[in-house]
Amino acid sequence: MVTITLRKSRLLEKLKLTEGELEEVLFNLKSEVEPVDQENIAIEINADRLDMLNLGGIVRAAKGIMGVELGEPKYKVVDTDYVLEVRRVESRPYALGAVVYNVDLDQEKLRELIQFQEKLHDTIGRRRKKVAIGIHDLKKVDTKRIVYSTVPLNYKFVPLNQKEAMTVSEVMERTDQGKKYGNLSVYNNLSPAILQEDGQVLSVPPVINSEKTKIEEGTKDVFIDVTGTNLQAVMETLDILVTNLAEEGGVIGRVKVTGAIDVNSSPVLNHRVVEARVDYVLKRIGVELGGEDVVRYLSMMRMNSSLEGDVLKVTVPPYRTDVMRDVDLAEDVAMAIGYNKLEPLQIGATIFGKFLKETSLYTAFRELSVGAGLQEIYSLVLTKSNHLEGNFVRLLNPISAEYDAVRNSLIWTTLRFLSRNQRARFPVKVFEIGEVVVPSNSDTGFRNDLREVMAVMDSKVSFEQLQSLLHQVIVNATDIEPSYEENDDRLFIPGRGATVILKGEKVGIVGEVNPEVLVKFDVFYPVVISEIYLGKIANLI
Amino acid sequence: MLSELELRVLSFIKDKGVTSSTEISASLGLPKSSVFSVVYHLASEGYVRVVNTKKERKLVLTEEGETRLKEGFPEENLLRMLSRGPVKVQEAKDALGKDFEIAMSWAKKRGLINVQRGEIASLVQTYVAPERELLEKVKRGERLGDNEVTLLKGRNLVEEKEETEIEVEFLREPGLRSALLFLTPELIRSGEWRKYEFKKFNVRALPPYVPIGKKHYFREFIERAKEVMVSLGFSEVKSDYVEMEFYNFDMLFQPQDHPAREIHDSFRVEGRGEVKDEGLLRRVKEVHERWWNYKWDQEVALRLVMRSQTTATTARVLSTSPKPPARVFTIGKVFRPDAIDATHLIEFHQLDGLIVEEDFNFRKLLGVLKEIFAGLGIKEIKFKPAYFPFTEPSVEVYGWIGKLGWVEMAGAGLLRPEVTEPAGVYSPAGAWGLGLDRLAMLFLGVKDIRDLYSDDIEFLRNRKVEAQW
Repeated sequence: MVTITLRKSRLLEKLKLTEGELEEVLFNLKSEVEPVDQENIAIEINADRLDMLNLGGIVRAAKGIMGVELGEPKYKVVDTDYVLEVRRVESRPYALGAVVYNVDLDQEKLRELIQFQEKLHDTIGRRRKKVAIGIHDLKKVDTKRIVYSTVPLNYKFVPLNQKEAMTVSEVMERTDQGKKYGNLSVYNNLSPAILQEDGQVLSVPPVINSEKTKIEEGTKDVFIDVTGTNLQAVMETLDILVTNLAEEGGVIGRVKVTGAIDVNSSPVLNHRVVEARVDYVLKRIGVELGGEDVVRYLSMMRMNSSLEGDVLKVTVPPYRTDVMRDVDLAEDVAMAIGYNKLEPLQIGATIFGKFLKETSLYTAFRELSVGAGLQEIYSLVLTKSNHLEGNFVRLLNPISAEYDAVRNSLIWTTLRFLSRNQRARFPVKVFEIGEVVVPSNSDTGFRNDLREVMAVMDSKVSFEQLQSLLHQVIVNATDIEPSYEENDDRLFIPGRGATVILKGEKVGIVGEVNPEVLVKFDVFYPVVISEIYLGKIANLI
Repeated sequence: MLSELELRVLSFIKDKGVTSSTEISASLGLPKSSVFSVVYHLASEGYVRVVNTKKERKLVLTEEGETRLKEGFPEENLLRMLSRGPVKVQEAKDALGKDFEIAMSWAKKRGLINVQRGEIASLVQTYVAPERELLEKVKRGERLGDNEVTLLKGRNLVEEKEETEIEVEFLREPGLRSALLFLTPELIRSGEWRKYEFKKFNVRALPPYVPIGKKHYFREFIERAKEVMVSLGFSEVKSDYVEMEFYNFDMLFQPQDHPAREIHDSFRVEGRGEVKDEGLLRRVKEVHERWWNYKWDQEVALRLVMRSQTTATTARVLSTSPKPPARVFTIGKVFRPDAIDATHLIEFHQLDGLIVEEDFNFRKLLGVLKEIFAGLGIKEIKFKPAYFPFTEPSVEVYGWIGKLGWVEMAGAGLLRPEVTEPAGVYSPAGAWGLGLDRLAMLFLGVKDIRDLYSDDIEFLRNRKVEAQW
């Protein structure tokens, strides 16, 4: 989701809608409206609809779904005598340019354009890594020939909103944008740059524009450069920019492109033809309609199409970069019909559902443990690595030391739980059934393991006090009598720990916790604890 | 020890076997109030048992009624004066005082006297007021006729009062016995217990605290969600927390430079997984490179993460090429780095479902979603177009929550062919995912998500068990 802020009155006037109606229309275009203040509203745009990241695009889409304007708009495109020469730029090979006349920036339009640029940077631009945009006041561009090339790091220019010339490295080190994006494209001590023929800098992509060609209130026409690491993304970004500005009255000016790039002029205004079988589209939605209906619905989504027998040929406009194939058309048709006008169909319950064996096991052991008088607790899977012993999964990028590892036993999370409840009413008797992660020979090297922990904390506890409950729970759930063997694990007081054996297999442990361990967890009352391996038990019964 | 009065009452009750408070009061000449207090005390000591308590409206003598009965009615007193011969009016007035008028009026009305030349003379030999007998009857608790009641009420001699009447039954004789604390099998068998008195406990005192076994309220909610899915014909599946990016992202058609795959959006785990199905790897690589137009890196796909969506489980199921019709679901933990606050935790639950059927379509998906939400208790939902890399058409489900209005609850869609076909699934497939923690918070009235995993046992002990959903 991307959020943009717009002047409410501008949008409502252009669409002749009330606020409530606007909300409804945008809801059906995947968007949500939130008031910001008296004058402004925030609109959430879905990440696929890059064409809706500014006012022009929203108006275009809304008019279609409202039925006010249908099909692809015809924007005015003229040839210019500007030339973009693209030289070899290792780190960022692609650059395209365009002119847009009559953008007539006032304060509000200027703000919107900058916002549009930033939102494109954040989405298709992948925070400028993949695509970066420079917008310039055309009047301030002195030469008709613009060059995309590299400059050394000591090359000087006045960066945007600065008064004095700085070298490229100074920009990288001193300005916010330099710090943020400087390291993206410098390669062999060279930085990409958009230059006038005379060598003056227009922009240093993807970092910053020059102060020289800054756009401001009153700017009438603009020159746009788009650079990046992926030609298709560069092309799409420029197409979206210029068509959206054209929707608001701009005239698109084509620039000649030469040099190390397989494009002759830009913007490319790429129209793709997507073919789809009408019946496939309709069957996917689950509606019965004629081919003409589909054509009409697509025109509401601002796309022109024609029918050739059962095949639909859709000309996808440059700004609809999200439409890849037939299934995408199905969604657009469904949206044009209106999701809430599609009657949900009932599916037959011809299949019986089943619980996992783990779930049945959980249910059985849980019922019995509650019957044994224990309170069920539920703790987090992520925990503190300091508390864990043995092999466990450590997070490479934890957000806090409290949660930097994955539990490999419920014993540790339960001792931690007990330590927090030493002032509760005694006795504290708890159990938890949950998954831990242990090493295994699975395709990831780890697997989940279902365990049950039981514990009693009181001013006096005994081994038998818990063992007797555990014994009954196991006998009642498995119909097998477990046996016990001495367990000299350091977890337990010597001579007071046992291994639980079922059919000759070790299925758990039970014992009085060694005070050494209690103290480590800041527990100052005696505790008797058990952990059994339900996954293993499941395989034995 | 019983007092003399108590013994007297007890002995009376013993003689009668069963008696009433009125009878005790009348027979022993005790005021009702003392009868009650004595009887209740005897009952609490176990000598008698109150078998019935009823409230009745009863006629009782007023203070005036009691006085007249004792000191004579005014007209009776007047006639007694006249029995020795006529008396001057003034003389009678002085003798009777304020009762004079009443006496004169009733004596005249009943034709008992004659007044001539300032002298009052009796016309009868003796006179007893009929009210006297009526009042006696009232005292004995006998019933009167309506006219009689009107007469007495008119003279303010009786009034109606609500009275409690108890019936009491004799149980045992008083005696001297030692108190018994515990009853034992020996005492019962030998009958010796009869010789003892049981020590009485203060049964009104609150009991000491004893912990009882109780299920965790949030896990109850999760189990219920599982039941809803099974009842709709879905079978439960699961997969592990540690997952390859391949199943968490790549199979779901999320390009490797997708913002959701950035390092701060999932927890990384050291290690490298292995996808044994070379064909699957190749086909996933192909769709990524064809549609997203970039160089797909297998090493990125094999990196390990804590799964960030249970759709990874759906991808795992798909990778086994399920044959239609197939309906599966999973409920499990997912992990995402996030600042922890009242609405965010670094781990939470998702419910993901997958349905593969020959004729499945978008409207059927909407139908499934409607049923799931109805099962979870949300009757009113609406659909919003949405975007997920792995579904098309995609939809978000909004549910109506009275207090909050429309709340976004789930994401769903028909899986893209780029997701199903590399796995060898060629039938339409619907998939959805919904976060359970937020939903549980709404249903369970929990304000802070951390309370779902509370480490405060008193919080869990004090939480009421949901008796209905």
